[in-house]
Amino acid sequence: MPRWGMVIDLDKCTGCQACTVACKVENNVPHGSPEEQTSRREIYWNKVIAATRGRYPRVKTELIPMPCMHCDNAPCVTVCPAIATYRRADGIIMQNFRRCIGCKYCMVACPYGVRSFNFKEQESKEYQRQDRPPDRTVWGPWPFPTRTHGVVEKCTFCFHLIDQGIKEGKRIGEEVVPACVEACPANARFFGDLDDTRSQVSRLLSSRGSIRLREELVTKPKVYYLLQ
Amino acid sequence: MSLTFTTLEGRSRGFYLFVATLVVLSLIGFISFAMSYIEGHKILGTSNVIPWGMPIIISIYLIGLSAGSLILSSLTYVFQKEEYRPIARMAVYMAIVLILGAMIGIALDLGRPDKTWRLFMFFVLNNMRSMFAINGILYGGYFAISLAYLAFILAEKPTATRAIGILAIVWASLVHMGTGAIFGFIAARPIFYSPIKPFEFLAAAMVSGLALLLITVMFVFKVAQRKFDKNMVFSLSRLLLALVIVLLVIVSVDKVTHLYSPHRDPTLWLLTGPFSWVFWGLQVGCAYILPLLLLLHPRSRKSIKGVLAATFSIIIGIFGERFVLVIPGTAHPLPFYPGKIEGVWGKAGSFSFAPAEFLMCLGIFALMGLFFLLGLKYLELLPGDESSEQIPVVAKNP
Amino acid sequence: MNRRTFLKLSAFTGAAVGASQMTGALDTPAASPLSKATQNTDDEKWIATSCLICPARCAIRLRVVNGKAIKVTGNPSSRVSEGKICPRAHIGLQVLYDPDRIAFPLKRTTKEKGKGIDPKWVPMTWDQAFEEVTRYLRPLREKAQPHRLLLFSGLNTVSGEDAISRFAAAFGTPNLISGDGLDCEAEKSGHWMADGHYSNRAYDLDHTRYILAFGADILESGRPLTRFLRKWGKLRREEPNRTKVVVINPRYSVTAAKSDEWIPIQPGTDAALALGVAHVIISEKLYDQNFIHHWTEGFDSYKNWVLSQYSPKVVSEITGIPSEAIQRTAREFSQTRPAIALGGMGSINWPEGSTISHAIFCLNALVGSVDVPGGVIYQVHPKYRDMADGVQDEIARRGKIQPCLDFRGTDRFPAAKVVTNQIPESILEDVPYTVEMAIGFNSNFNMSAPGTQRWDEALKKLPYFVQISPFVSEMAQYADLVLPSTTFLEEWGYDHSPSESGYAEARIKQPVVSPRGHSRSTIDILFEWARRLGGGVAQSFADIGGDSKGFVQFRTAALMPWEEFLREGVWSGPQYEYKKYNHLFNTPSRKFEFTSGNLKSLLSKMKKKTGDLDCLPHYKESQFLGEREKYPLLLLPYQPLMHMENGSQNYPWAQEIFLPMQGMGWDNLAEINSETANALKLREGEEVWVESPFQRMKVKLKCSEGVHPEVVAVSIGQGHSAYGRWQKGMGVNPNEILGVDYDPVSGQSSFFNTRVRVYKA
Repeated sequence: MPRWGMVIDLDKCTGCQACTVACKVENNVPHGSPEEQTSRREIYWNKVIAATRGRYPRVKTELIPMPCMHCDNAPCVTVCPAIATYRRADGIIMQNFRRCIGCKYCMVACPYGVRSFNFKEQESKEYQRQDRPPDRTVWGPWPFPTRTHGVVEKCTFCFHLIDQGIKEGKRIGEEVVPACVEACPANARFFGDLDDTRSQVSRLLSSRGSIRLREELVTKPKVYYLLQ
Repeated sequence: MSLTFTTLEGRSRGFYLFVATLVVLSLIGFISFAMSYIEGHKILGTSNVIPWGMPIIISIYLIGLSAGSLILSSLTYVFQKEEYRPIARMAVYMAIVLILGAMIGIALDLGRPDKTWRLFMFFVLNNMRSMFAINGILYGGYFAISLAYLAFILAEKPTATRAIGILAIVWASLVHMGTGAIFGFIAARPIFYSPIKPFEFLAAAMVSGLALLLITVMFVFKVAQRKFDKNMVFSLSRLLLALVIVLLVIVSVDKVTHLYSPHRDPTLWLLTGPFSWVFWGLQVGCAYILPLLLLLHPRSRKSIKGVLAATFSIIIGIFGERFVLVIPGTAHPLPFYPGKIEGVWGKAGSFSFAPAEFLMCLGIFALMGLFFLLGLKYLELLPGDESSEQIPVVAKNP
Repeated sequence: MNRRTFLKLSAFTGAAVGASQMTGALDTPAASPLSKATQNTDDEKWIATSCLICPARCAIRLRVVNGKAIKVTGNPSSRVSEGKICPRAHIGLQVLYDPDRIAFPLKRTTKEKGKGIDPKWVPMTWDQAFEEVTRYLRPLREKAQPHRLLLFSGLNTVSGEDAISRFAAAFGTPNLISGDGLDCEAEKSGHWMADGHYSNRAYDLDHTRYILAFGADILESGRPLTRFLRKWGKLRREEPNRTKVVVINPRYSVTAAKSDEWIPIQPGTDAALALGVAHVIISEKLYDQNFIHHWTEGFDSYKNWVLSQYSPKVVSEITGIPSEAIQRTAREFSQTRPAIALGGMGSINWPEGSTISHAIFCLNALVGSVDVPGGVIYQVHPKYRDMADGVQDEIARRGKIQPCLDFRGTDRFPAAKVVTNQIPESILEDVPYTVEMAIGFNSNFNMSAPGTQRWDEALKKLPYFVQISPFVSEMAQYADLVLPSTTFLEEWGYDHSPSESGYAEARIKQPVVSPRGHSRSTIDILFEWARRLGGGVAQSFADIGGDSKGFVQFRTAALMPWEEFLREGVWSGPQYEYKKYNHLFNTPSRKFEFTSGNLKSLLSKMKKKTGDLDCLPHYKESQFLGEREKYPLLLLPYQPLMHMENGSQNYPWAQEIFLPMQGMGWDNLAEINSETANALKLREGEEVWVESPFQRMKVKLKCSEGVHPEVVAVSIGQGHSAYGRWQKGMGVNPNEILGVDYDPVSGQSSFFNTRVRVYKA
């Protein structure tokens, strides 16, 4: 059973935010608005934060892309009462819209702020992916035909692409990757099986020092960062 | 002298006016809820940074009040303290009404209230490692136990009452310790994270429950022209003082612990930041300092007015304590990465006043008030009025 | 009530609650059950085309399902972008489906024109629109005054540009004004001074080992951006030797944050720094002796000049950079070969821009990075099929020889090919003559040029103005007629980038969906006008395909078979040929010139007095607009990556993450050094006025550690006032308060020498 993880090379990353945009395109994540940004209701499955240290002229700002960390020890999975968020056998932390009751406990528990709540019904029904037939086996994790208000959503490592790829016998991590990995122009993001020593992610993690965010909380995130 | 229990007359114009007002407020609250159900939570004051707002604050407040109230009723039914018998029935009924209000509050806060039933699918569709799910068992059971408790009390079955009373104390403690655990087990939020949270909640429950009980009793007895023993009030106020001290000690230990790294920054922000006025003013000032002063000062602790003032202060203060846990607890920005995080991602959350949210909570209170009044009118909860024309139900001695 | 009743009541309640738990009816998403009809993928297409959100025009592929475009990816056939795209290309979907686009030609009914004045547009049919425009065009030809037609060209396809210039030539107007004069004309003239090519350079990023970026935000506004982003990843971690990048910029840009070293510089002194670096390289003999000896001219005078004037100590005083940093950088630059010195707009768009560009370019010569692998290279363009010479009748011939409205090539701007920002003065003062009619092709100069108010005044004065764009931009607000053009995803075209990878690459544009509303492509509009005008104009547009599709087919026939081009989307030229020194330099000496012979002969032709030193790269202290005492700070407008260059910012995906370094969107900020802010008693987040000698604007303050103490950095791209629910009224446009100044050699507008002061609002 693979254990899917991601490696983000911050030295190759250009801070362009293509990952953020491509994720929104792929998953029909609603865009925000000025009011929603001020009231902190915008939905991002991937966000790029800027962390600054130092003073002029010896300043350093690091641009850090943050998808869901898909922690092996996910606090959100522990606290969800309705099993709407759960860890799949392959390590992906899933989000089942059908089961989600919108209690927002997972949002309180997540140390990475990667979860967003749907505060409103999306007006434009363009948020329907006509190329994704509703496979009843994924009805629930897949927020379509329409996502409703009152449920929490987050990055899913594009499980729909992964599952489709596996069905078609493609190599995950090379031929099929999440939208953010595919979109990165610098090829700074990598996806693959952390437990497979032949995978690209394993090779990268053995080649350089890497960190994960907020290690002290021992959430065992599966998104690794190679530093600049 | 045998103690009898009667219902409230409830025929005066004032009574009907009061009921009508509560009905209207409940309806307004329901309409606000309906709006939030249709439009989504965008009409509330919550955000992705502060996901829990007034309904949750109200709910944990009410659970505390309820558990406190129920535990105090056991003074009579378990520990056989006769001096409190006149108010014990009301205490149990209040507990029921309060937990109902709390559960409604929780349901209102859900993004999808139509799926509330999912909270009760114990072991079948629930993740039992979640404190929310465990609390589902606790609250559901608590509601059932309280109902049975009241049933046995009204049916005048002292042995069964005692048995269920013991169960009620244990279960009520678990209930509010469970509520505390919802917060205390979350490592991501330093202001929450503490093994002492369940005890802090339990202590707050006792304090606020007793304070509410005292206020309600004195108010209802006055309006319904029932006599009450002043000594009972003063003995309860002494109990209240002890409980406030216990609560103060627990909260101090919690805060001082958190002032050490790694929880220092968020705690300092709580104590000195934009929400510090709620902490110092409401929680510390109204819930601890003022009541302590009032209940220690030789003059005030011997006057009904002084005790009333103390309980009123506590009611407000403990509400502030709940607020100051939930809101700043989640508002403090998460330190994703070392350094100063720029822009929205590094900004502390702010909680804005939303009319719909306020009206919903008002509706919950109104609904509880309504149930309480109806209970007084149709159940024999009040000690007998000697001047009344009613035929009292004679209480058998236990 | 007695207890029995109570018990019954509670039992009933309990049962009711239990019952509702059993029903699963409540467990449905709010939507109605999934209807099969919308969910099949019978009709799925991948269409190759190219982007046009910025002038890089990268090759893309679009996935279209059931007639709806849903995903943009790169085109692996393109060796320029290597199958990748920058974030803006994804946002093309929002450009296509912009809810605020116009569907019909719109006629203005309000006579007054101005900011905030509602034109009260009335829709008309295309036939009516064509009829009206030709009604205005014809008299100009009949009166033999075709030069009074002014054409603005904003961001269009190369095919569109070709059609527009053919139209201009056939009509007889020399006044085809592109936005180049706001872009990088000084960079071009600086290069031309050295090697005779008045064009952008390309950079052989695949092999370079060191990039010294002068004011160049290569990860945000470099062109082609996709290529820079891809190559960044490659150069940093996909090669055995990691390429070092050093960024010289008064502002800590994203590029600076990702680079190895950020060197903040006193604004406007980049020439001094370049010459200081040259000083070290020359004095320590670190230059490429072979190249200098064989392929350059005037090294000795350059050497003497640099050694005498630009020691690190002197340069350190001027630039504020410690001499040891200058020396260290110079040594690293010259000893890590191949190295590139890359001059960007921030360094070059100053009144002394040409010589700044020349000075930076000379560094490449010093280290032998001219036309070598890993160095500066010369972009080859696709050779499209020649069109027959356009018919220039007598009217057109007479019109074409009239002086240009922008004084290009005159002694005011001797080397200039276009002086975009001169137009408002020319219109307002009627020099050299009055303008009768103007047509704008997706241009928005009253937002993108310095001194936007003069543009508004000038546009107001135009007797008749037609704007062609998909939306009512700020420029279209002043139009009498707005024609809805297609976006780049709905039209036919061919495209290439002015500077990319060296070897030529042509990219197709084909509609991925049928044009929305009643929009038409620019080329089709031109064909129709030509037809209706008849005469020489119509003849010039005969036999070149008949319409936009035909035109593209005609022109690209020289490249590859049509079906293959449609399928692949990309035509690649032959491999790049390096070291073409024998015939590369278009200079008097046929070599790379440190003292520009080209400039010298041009200036003497203009009868301008020049000393030899003028034609050598030199540092001249900039003239600033505004006195230092009253306006102590300097305004630095910059272009963030999420700035869409098509004239609109009405795209939520771009707006919500507009400024990643500041972690916010939907707005922009005045970014000031935190110490400077302290000294001015200004606090983070408060509203301030940023006031120049010309205008002022109110904006929120950001106290930053990444800004030179004397600089106020404000991003461009916000401050729209014309249309768009996602942009109107948001943020400010720094161009509104900039003063007007030029590099006189090239006519390039200066953007960075306006002084400002900042105070609490």
